Amino acid sequence: MPILQVIDVTKVYEGKVTHRALNQLSFEVEKGEFLAVMGPSGSGKTTLLNIISTIDKPTSGEIIFNGTKPHLFNKTELAYFRRRELGFIFQDFNLLPMLTVEENIVLPLTLDNQPVSLMKKRVKELTEKLGLSSVLNKRPDELSGGQAQRVAIARALIHEPAIILADEPTGNLDSHNSREVLELLSKINKERNATIIMVTHDPIAASFCDRVLFIKDGEYFNEIYRDERRQTFFQRILNVLSLLGGRVGDLSSIRLP
Amino acid sequence: MASFFSVFVFFIYSMLMFHPEIENGYLGKVPIGGMVFAEMILVLFSWFFIFYSMKAFLESRAKEFAILLHLGMEKRQLSKLIFLETIIIGSLSIACGILFGYAFTKFFFMIVREILMLEELPLYFQWEPFVLTIAVYFSAFVIISIVSVNFSPERKIIDLLRWYQYPNVNGRFSKKKAVLSIILLVVAYILSLLTNRVNFYPFVVLLPLLITIGTYLFFTDTVQWVVELIKSRKNFYWKKSRMLSIAEQTFILKNNGRMYFVVTMVSAAAFLCIGLLAALSSYTSQYDKLNPLGLIYKGHVDNPYEKEHISSIVNELEEKGLSYHLTRFEVKKQTSSYTNYEVEVFRESDINSLLFSYGYPMVQLDSGEGMFIPYSEESIKKLSKRTVHTVLKENNVPITIDEVYPKLIFPSSIVSPNSIIISDEDFVQLKKPYSGYPDVEPGYHLFAFDIPQWLEAQDVGVPIYQQVQKEYEKNRYQLPFYFENAGLNYSYVLSMYSLFTLVGLLVAAVFLLAAGSFIYFKIHTNLDAEKRKFDVLKRMGIADSEIKRLVTNQLFPQFFLPWGVAMVHSLFAFLALQNLLKDIANISIVKEIVFAFSFLILIQVIYFYLIRWRFIAHVKN
Repeated sequence: MPILQVIDVTKVYEGKVTHRALNQLSFEVEKGEFLAVMGPSGSGKTTLLNIISTIDKPTSGEIIFNGTKPHLFNKTELAYFRRRELGFIFQDFNLLPMLTVEENIVLPLTLDNQPVSLMKKRVKELTEKLGLSSVLNKRPDELSGGQAQRVAIARALIHEPAIILADEPTGNLDSHNSREVLELLSKINKERNATIIMVTHDPIAASFCDRVLFIKDGEYFNEIYRDERRQTFFQRILNVLSLLGGRVGDLSSIRLP
Repeated sequence: MASFFSVFVFFIYSMLMFHPEIENGYLGKVPIGGMVFAEMILVLFSWFFIFYSMKAFLESRAKEFAILLHLGMEKRQLSKLIFLETIIIGSLSIACGILFGYAFTKFFFMIVREILMLEELPLYFQWEPFVLTIAVYFSAFVIISIVSVNFSPERKIIDLLRWYQYPNVNGRFSKKKAVLSIILLVVAYILSLLTNRVNFYPFVVLLPLLITIGTYLFFTDTVQWVVELIKSRKNFYWKKSRMLSIAEQTFILKNNGRMYFVVTMVSAAAFLCIGLLAALSSYTSQYDKLNPLGLIYKGHVDNPYEKEHISSIVNELEEKGLSYHLTRFEVKKQTSSYTNYEVEVFRESDINSLLFSYGYPMVQLDSGEGMFIPYSEESIKKLSKRTVHTVLKENNVPITIDEVYPKLIFPSSIVSPNSIIISDEDFVQLKKPYSGYPDVEPGYHLFAFDIPQWLEAQDVGVPIYQQVQKEYEKNRYQLPFYFENAGLNYSYVLSMYSLFTLVGLLVAAVFLLAAGSFIYFKIHTNLDAEKRKFDVLKRMGIADSEIKRLVTNQLFPQFFLPWGVAMVHSLFAFLALQNLLKDIANISIVKEIVFAFSFLILIQVIYFYLIRWRFIAHVKN
């Protein structure tokens, strides 16, 4: 039983120029899978992520999440759904500047009105694992990029969500920090059997995943599974990317904000 | 918009100031002086205000400027751009302000006419108000735009481009200062409760000083200390959206403590203005009760002008066709054995004649009985509990006084606090004059004119009144007579009052508006960052109702903390004022103050909900 089913999802943006961002896209995600979604700019990756995270609604088609259909919920139910079942990691971290690191991490739990003892326990576990114990009382602006993203990951994990959605998590990091974050994600994926969907431009980042899904102009293009060696997987990803026909610039691993 | 409004108010006001009718006369010199003063406050304040709004406006567009600088714009070009923009906005708001101002001037004049009870106040066209308004505001805009461009702190483009400017959150506060501020405020409050006529002057200097320092420290230190205390209780702090809003507060307070201080002081000033107005209006409305008589003429026993003056007053009244009731009193001074001081003795039948024309209940006294004449509303209560057995020493007449007349008969300036009524039989026995005679007058004659339409009698006896006024200005009062015209006094009080109304309302309106706008600008400047924050929160899963609660929690202290503190400040100021007034004028301002304050609270609540509504609409989409 897949944890997430995307069935024939189409998203049309009405406006002066009608724009079809997603066109009958279907795929499934199994529990414990680490999936990368790749595609050139404007291929609908962000729209897809928004639809999965229920802040946007598909024009047609449906999303089945663990057997439920979130787009039938009302707004409040959706909010509760998001806060319990989903965890988010953003490209620019989006830590709240007025909260300390610790407060940022426990935020999802406080919103859900959990007891303080539980929060403290989880924070202790997570920060030890992610090596954040020393910075707990600092403010986000005192952190390095890698630390900030690890804090964001801790925030996405603390409420033990069913799916973690990551939007270009390495987009703002240098290669060293990128690698660290990616290794961390795949470790979490294995140890906790967490399901992760990651949208990325970066073939290196994609090569850490179990499966890479390629979309182009909102449609399914291809998908490839991981093999024994990361290097060969990386090579195969590059091959598909060149098949995609995007120009080199679109695929650059460094993207300006 | 804000500058438009201030131009608007200023213009209307200067229209009034330059009004030909007002200039030549009725109100005299004082009001003009007062209005110039108000106008000056207005100018100073609107300069400050425009400067602040300009700064907020530029700040909210910092990103746009950063992009321009990024594209290679020179700093000089940027200055030019901002300068031009400011001038355009300024000219527009001046033009609109004057246009609308002129349109509403007639309306304003009508209100003023009603307040001042003038005959008419026609609309007119003169160049002075236009020139004045344009000159003042145009120079303001020019200077402010130059200043705000050239003196704005240099910031790096990269910082401007970032979505959230990480502000300095490591604000330090000292516990000592926090405690000090509480002590200062409490001391000031206690002192203000102890204010009375004697210590008034030192207190007037001391109290505002204490309050100002106390308030400043309160916002820079105490509030943060309190928030820190709250934060250290995790069970309370880490609960639902509370954490977000409290953290947000620390942050806002640390950065804006000074602004809150300004807002607090400004609103306190506005509250004071409004409260004073309310108090004055209460004084005018109680005037009637405090001065039951239309005209009073008081003369020595051997006053040579008596006949002449009285007949001229009577003639004037008759010429005007005003009905009146004249009572002549013969008041004798005697020494009381009870206190060894003088008492003024009134005759029962004289008093009854006046009471009859008032329509008040009559006095019935037997021989040996006496009754106090109250000199103020307060004194009625006090005297009613007193019983005095005394002997009028000069003539050895024993009197027992155990009653007080339940209403004010004379205004307090006429009768001495030791005035009694005795029966006719006893009064006849008072043949020997006061022991101080001939050094001290043995008594006086009092002519009380009860005039139902006393307001219309304000022109009666003006020459006599002028003599009295002149004599007052000398050190010693030597005239053998004294004259009081309630109608004339009332018209003076009224014009004073209306002057204060004009000045006070205007200043209060500008202050309130400014205080509100400061907060609004502050919120407006951070709107983008706020939107960003709520986006993140929405992804994390936050329901609409929670957004609302969060916004409320976030805005509430921003609005009501400074205002609340200002409220408390002015409340204590009024308590002090009430103490003073009790000593001087015997009027109670409690009702008016309560009314004014509840009105202010209502305005604030409306304003709060208005801004909250805009804010939520902004962060939601």
